[in-house]
Amino acid sequence: MLAITLREFKSLFQSIRAIIIIVVLFGVTVGSAKLVSQFKSELSGLGLGDNAYVIGLMLLLFLAAPLFVTSISHSSVNKEMESKTIRFLATKTSRENIIFGKFLGNISFWVLCLSIALLLIVPFSKSFYFVDLIQSIIFVSYFIGLSLFLSTVVNNSSLTMFAGIVLSIALPVIGMWSLLSKNVAIDAISYLTPYFYYTHANTSYTYFVLIHTVVFVMLSLIIFKRRDL
Amino acid sequence: MIALRATNLTKQYGNKTVVNNLNLEITSGSIFGFLGQNGAGKSTFINMITGLVRPTSGTFEILGAAGNSLDDVRTRIGVLPDYSTFYENFTALDHLKYFSKVLGLKLTTEELKKVLRDVQLEEAMNTKTKNYSFGMKKKLGIAQALINKPDILFLDEPTSGVDANSILGIHSLIRKVAAEGTTIFLTSHNLDEVEKLCTEIAIMNKGSIQTKGTMSELRSQHQKSITVYVKHEMIDSETQQKLTIELSKLVKVLSISATHSEFIVQNESAIPELNKYLVMQQVNVYRLEVEEASLEEIFLNLGVEVRTA
Repeated sequence: MLAITLREFKSLFQSIRAIIIIVVLFGVTVGSAKLVSQFKSELSGLGLGDNAYVIGLMLLLFLAAPLFVTSISHSSVNKEMESKTIRFLATKTSRENIIFGKFLGNISFWVLCLSIALLLIVPFSKSFYFVDLIQSIIFVSYFIGLSLFLSTVVNNSSLTMFAGIVLSIALPVIGMWSLLSKNVAIDAISYLTPYFYYTHANTSYTYFVLIHTVVFVMLSLIIFKRRDL
Repeated sequence: MIALRATNLTKQYGNKTVVNNLNLEITSGSIFGFLGQNGAGKSTFINMITGLVRPTSGTFEILGAAGNSLDDVRTRIGVLPDYSTFYENFTALDHLKYFSKVLGLKLTTEELKKVLRDVQLEEAMNTKTKNYSFGMKKKLGIAQALINKPDILFLDEPTSGVDANSILGIHSLIRKVAAEGTTIFLTSHNLDEVEKLCTEIAIMNKGSIQTKGTMSELRSQHQKSITVYVKHEMIDSETQQKLTIELSKLVKVLSISATHSEFIVQNESAIPELNKYLVMQQVNVYRLEVEEASLEEIFLNLGVEVRTA
């Protein structure tokens, strides 16, 4: 599993995407921190924290992380199925190791990107936001799990790219809409998105999002184990 | 000891049965050849046994582990699957390093280079596989199947698309690996290859095994006639005529000349009788040669389509 994790991590980190993501996370966080400091009290009331830098980072993640994550992780399984390289892996290790390895590789990449971005903010903010880092990772893990699930269910990587983009737009919209809507259906769906948990006054609700991640990964594993390669 | 046992193994895709109630046992240390035309179910069988495809029904056991515990013996299995490609930006050495880590092995670069040397790929080991020919990819496929020194090695069409020189190298490698105690299961279209390499052969047709055994067992089961060439002492024309008449009652006489004769017998038991008769007639036999049926003839006798190399 470790070998697959490392390869997944390296393939993500060695590409230009890693640098772009870190630069965007850092730049937008610092830039938006200056902007959000003007609306600090309103935004912290929405559960976005009370630090301008954290608010900046979380806003960016709320809006852009789904797109960032799905765009780079949407094909982690089905691309190997399309190219048939998965057949070599599947004859050498268990399917559990493949799925968990892919998931851990993706999450490691994001842990590193977010950590570097938050470390780069330290000279401005004068502190390292460890709890917020954990919450950001949990938020991102939801979309990594979702991408892994899509990539396992759908064979075609172009289709998962498209589905990823649609979900990246739909999920934030539904999540934000549910905050304002009294519609029962929208309310029910909001429990399936991470936004409900991240906009709740009680910040410990954010940890519930991990359940979603676990469900996505386990579903991916169940489906992957039943697949003919 | 049994290396592989399949019991009523079946694979269906929709209404199409690709492998049908297949029963098979392979003894440890053998080189087992699996023959059959395209679509006979050979690759599907290997894919089921190696965990790439789920059987619709039936069970199998490999190196003593049940099919659902395949993960327990993965490090003892080597597989060259059909239709596989490599990571384009990896070199051959990168692939072997990665796959050995996936297997949980701690192999040195030197050990991996030796595997590449065995498959005649050492010179191209630092070339990215996107620049490899089909034959080179096939060799790398064999190399990755060998890195763990497997107890059982599955090779799906190991020489298809490979040049003649490399085929000889692969054949000698297969023999060497088998001599070290590895059970080898190979599928092939190449009848000559199977005939030369394999200690046991199964012929598959439409998802079922049509016949199975050693080459001599297959011959005795499916060879319709045996041609016998006899080199004997000089005989005169009168004796030739007499032998033609008398031996026609025993065998089919193709020709009888002064020093050589040619007969067709229906089974092996007629050969000693033929020899005995010649000796009785005081014709000294210098040499007696039997032309055995090739796998191609057995295929034809079974009514299976043939494709030779």
